[in-house]
Amino acid sequence: MASITATRIEAVKSFLSELKLHKTGLLGLGVLILYVFVAIFAPWISPVGPNETGLADSYAYPSWFSIFPGYENLPRNIILKLSYEDWHVLHQSNGLEYVEENDLSKINVKSGNVSTVKDLLLEYTFNYTFNPPKRFSGKIPFKVEINHALGSYVRIRCSIVTPKGRVYEVYDSLPIANNLTRLETPATYDARDISLKLKLGFSPHDYLGEKIFNLKGVYKLRLYISIFSVKGDGAVNVWLGVNEFRIYGMLYGILGTDNLGCDLFSNLIYGTRVSLMVGILASVISVSIGLVVGVISGYKGRIVDQILMFFTDTLLFTPILPLLIAISVFVGKNLYLEIALIALFSWMVFARNTRAYVMSIRDSMFVESARAIGAPDIYIIFRHILPQLTPIIYINLVMRVPGAILLEATLSFLNLGDPSVPSWGRMLYNARYAGAFFRFMWWWIIPPGLAITFLALAFVLLGNALDAILNPRLQVRR
Amino acid sequence: MSVGGGGLLKYMGKRAVDRIAVVLSSLTLQFLLLRVLPYYVLGIDPSFFFLNPNLTEAQRELIRKQFGLDESLASQFVKYVLSLFTGNMGFSFYTRRPVFSELMERLPNTVLLLGTATVLTIIIGLIVGIIAVSKRGTRFDASIIGSSIFVSAFPHFYVGLLLLLIFGFYLRWFPIAGTISRPPPRDPVIYVADLLRHMALPLITLLITGIGGFALFIRNLFLTQLGEDYVLTARAKGLNEREVMVRHVLRNVLAPVINILALEFPGIISGAVIVETVFSWYGVGRWLFQAATQFDYPVVQAVLFIQVALTVVSLYIADLIIALIDPRVRLR
Repeated sequence: MASITATRIEAVKSFLSELKLHKTGLLGLGVLILYVFVAIFAPWISPVGPNETGLADSYAYPSWFSIFPGYENLPRNIILKLSYEDWHVLHQSNGLEYVEENDLSKINVKSGNVSTVKDLLLEYTFNYTFNPPKRFSGKIPFKVEINHALGSYVRIRCSIVTPKGRVYEVYDSLPIANNLTRLETPATYDARDISLKLKLGFSPHDYLGEKIFNLKGVYKLRLYISIFSVKGDGAVNVWLGVNEFRIYGMLYGILGTDNLGCDLFSNLIYGTRVSLMVGILASVISVSIGLVVGVISGYKGRIVDQILMFFTDTLLFTPILPLLIAISVFVGKNLYLEIALIALFSWMVFARNTRAYVMSIRDSMFVESARAIGAPDIYIIFRHILPQLTPIIYINLVMRVPGAILLEATLSFLNLGDPSVPSWGRMLYNARYAGAFFRFMWWWIIPPGLAITFLALAFVLLGNALDAILNPRLQVRR
Repeated sequence: MSVGGGGLLKYMGKRAVDRIAVVLSSLTLQFLLLRVLPYYVLGIDPSFFFLNPNLTEAQRELIRKQFGLDESLASQFVKYVLSLFTGNMGFSFYTRRPVFSELMERLPNTVLLLGTATVLTIIIGLIVGIIAVSKRGTRFDASIIGSSIFVSAFPHFYVGLLLLLIFGFYLRWFPIAGTISRPPPRDPVIYVADLLRHMALPLITLLITGIGGFALFIRNLFLTQLGEDYVLTARAKGLNEREVMVRHVLRNVLAPVINILALEFPGIISGAVIVETVFSWYGVGRWLFQAATQFDYPVVQAVLFIQVALTVVSLYIADLIIALIDPRVRLR
């Protein structure tokens, strides 16, 4: 047993030393190893998940664009997270208590003999030095607790003050008269909200960010909490969580963002996984089918051969791509079904080649002598025929991969792939149908296609090198 | 001669039976995959997608009956095969128009685009391949091999997208979609010019993706022949390279070349799904894609049938030509 392992290691070693002579094969192997590395370590290489939306504004430029003139002032992602100590108290009514409690800001009002309104005005100042952004949004987590007779209420408002002193009220909770917890699901406001645009006196087609942040300078974010308490016993408590305010940048990551604000670089990185998996699995399945059909057909001959080859020819004559499209429409949304489908339609040529090869071996002396001493078919197939086939199996395993990768990319490009799995074909589909072309976003369009091409190329080069090493019969006389 | 002729007839007769059997089994496979698999295995009713949900049950039944969807599967299949062979392709689920007349609307565009592309691919591919093989081992040969392998690794739609981005969007030399401007120009000369301008990008895409592989195929074909013993003999006889090529090699590569041409031909009718879709070309390929995504099976099945039938017919003709020029085939 040890000697078999040793000879195998020797065979691999001699194969590798031969591969060293094939420069292009080595290149293919190197590129392939790089892709496998990227696929395995995708979660560590890509900064965010591939399906996370709203990471920056839609159609953001890659962040390295900021070194080019004309792009240096594009809005950056600004995310403010404001908790108790960040706020500056501008106004605090007497009798209103404002303290920090368990990472929340607590506002407490105890009612007295008369009904009163007590206010708390918080302010945060920040400097905005970029071009006007298109979009901003905010989250206001709060919790209201009214231990009181009917009639008390709390009202929370949020506004943005421009350097010129104009005040835009972007959020108004309206009076809240009962207990309400919005810590987990905070109240939000968003510059894309049409009712907000209308409320502030703009047209629904305006970008609110451009209108409000049209100046460079000191902006103020104000949070205004007013508590009306009726007379009597009791108290009103309001807790504020970490208030979030963000401006969506037009510069993001290595390759910018797509129409939903997803990171394109992460999509590119994660796309490696699907392509590699589809390519390799489909290749293994199709070579297996082709091998079984080819060996049985070639070895058995006669009626078995005719039936199997008739079926093979049927598939060969059937136009694969249109049929694949038509079937993918109803089963393609599942990645594994899609792989199986690709494999089921791509084994025929290999089966035919295998059959021809097996037929030539079947009639050779050593097979005939094995049969003469009464060896069973299974034994002859596994002992005498399959070892002869090993080189062409290896070569085909590699050579079938590019076709499967290209087919998967094509199906994804036609939007027939699994929508939950990031793939290069789908990136290109999105680029085509979400307006990347009209915006000249070449950094969105070019990388996925090149990624497909180089992966396919790596397999082709490796396959050619394998072919040259393992298949000396094809060394052509010149 | 008479013996040879009898051999030919017998050979072609046997071939015809084989080919017709393959067409029938291919049709069966398509029917199984497109009609039986979605409806009986996955529970998807194609009529669900084109019937107005506001219709009453009786109205639905009536429409289903019009399309023959109420009959049993076996009778649907028999009707389907019979009608295909009599040239009746049924009615589109969506437009309710005969598939045939819709096909005729799109056919000229597809024949124009794919016909030009196929002819140019074959001519340029042949020339490049033969030059490569006659200069084998040189830098030219190596660059042909290299670029063919490189192009073969590109997804076809990506080549189209890149051309679209560069020449359609950045340079604005060519229109980005469509077959003709709207409204179509009245002047016939301008009309043709406009059509050609629309056709340029899809045509270039088809050529880029097609020529490399074909040239490489031709090159390798010649190369394997040049390694044969009869070439050695011919050279030993003192024939020059040109005579060896024309009198000996060309005859032997003719059969596989005719075969591959026969396989190219049906594409002229059935179109190029990907390229036509990328460039919104009003042709059969894009129609097939749209029909497939809309579960419009009469259209899908008709186009697939045309493709299979044409493949079989053109291969049959190829067989005939090969048998005529190469006696070894029919005597085998």
